[in-house]
Amino acid sequence: MGVNYKAVQWNRQKKNYDVVLWMIIGGIVLLFSSLQLVIHPEITAETLIIRTSALTAFVLLHLILMIGPLARLDTRFLPLLYNRRHLGVSMFLIALIHGAFSIIQFHALGDVNPIVSVFTSNPNYQSISEFPFQILGFIALLILFLMAATSHDFWLKNLSPEIWKGLHMGVYLAYGLVIAHVATGALQYENHPVYWGILFVGFTAVATLHIFASIKENKVLTALKTNAVNEGFVEVLNVESIPISGAKAVFIHNQNIAIFRYLNRISAVHNVCKHQMGPLGEGEIVDGCITCPWHGYQYIPENGRAPEPFIEKLHTYSVKVIDGKVWVNPTPKPEGTYVEPAILEQQ
Amino acid sequence: MEGLIQVIVQIWLIYTVIGIVFSMLFFKFGLVTVDESAENTTWKFKLLISPGMLIFWPLFALKWKRSGS
Repeated sequence: MGVNYKAVQWNRQKKNYDVVLWMIIGGIVLLFSSLQLVIHPEITAETLIIRTSALTAFVLLHLILMIGPLARLDTRFLPLLYNRRHLGVSMFLIALIHGAFSIIQFHALGDVNPIVSVFTSNPNYQSISEFPFQILGFIALLILFLMAATSHDFWLKNLSPEIWKGLHMGVYLAYGLVIAHVATGALQYENHPVYWGILFVGFTAVATLHIFASIKENKVLTALKTNAVNEGFVEVLNVESIPISGAKAVFIHNQNIAIFRYLNRISAVHNVCKHQMGPLGEGEIVDGCITCPWHGYQYIPENGRAPEPFIEKLHTYSVKVIDGKVWVNPTPKPEGTYVEPAILEQQ
Repeated sequence: MEGLIQVIVQIWLIYTVIGIVFSMLFFKFGLVTVDESAENTTWKFKLLISPGMLIFWPLFALKWKRSGS
């Protein structure tokens, strides 16, 4: 069960985000079109649209790729992450303008299907200066379309978070294709060192931010794991391997432990039912309680106590979740001891 | 090469046309069956998810079939 979908879950923050976003986009468009008119006064309207939309989408793609690592490096950038999907869709729409006008201008005037013409009009695959760069841009645009088309929460739920995430990692492939599209396309004609410099600076900024964010995350993870080991925790399994509202049993340091996943939480209790020693880890969570698969005896996952008026109690164990892995301290707590469950990050 | 590209583009067009027809039927009769959170949603929501439906319609055809069986 969940809240019904809305086209857009508008709130004041999202509206402000979009207003600022489109003011920035307007500013970039104005700047680039003015520059084009100054540098190339003879430019046609179609070419102006093609170039300005290309430059605007290219800048926005860099912004999109930089927001993630920036937010990981410094939480003050988190507000930029808040409505990144609108930024992504806006970037795609601008890239689509570039793609559509380019195809119309360069491929729609012959008697060959324009899409077919993109792939067949230039066969110089061996040449760098005459490489059919439009194919690279076309494939990048398809990837960006796939991402924009599946940006609604409906897709996150119906494709599954894992597939959705994998799909949206395609932005890096699209970025690589766009860099190659620019390098083998526009920069073969506008080959002033300044343009190559701008391309290099943009790519370096994106790559460097990702490397720094990764180093920082690794440091944090290493510290968390070192602390966990020092506190006696042992890494046991992946969170994803535990069924939702179910459990996995592990046997470590002579302890038979059932690890339960429920309501976005993880708790661990002794894996043996007090009734007739049934395997609790083969049971599931029913009405918020661990339920023994043999005779339905129930226990509260956080403290291992049977709900009142019953009096059975299980040993409990401390748990942590680090980087998608469950860590358990195999030293049992006294029976019925409350242990704070590990909270899983929301997908 | 050109012949192969033409065939791929034709298949893509046919796939998209089937997707359009499927989406119209699916939005009318199958969407809520497959995902109950889509109950009482507006045409704007359906419009937003329709481009993705043109790509992933076979997945939803399968889900619809399973939900009905």
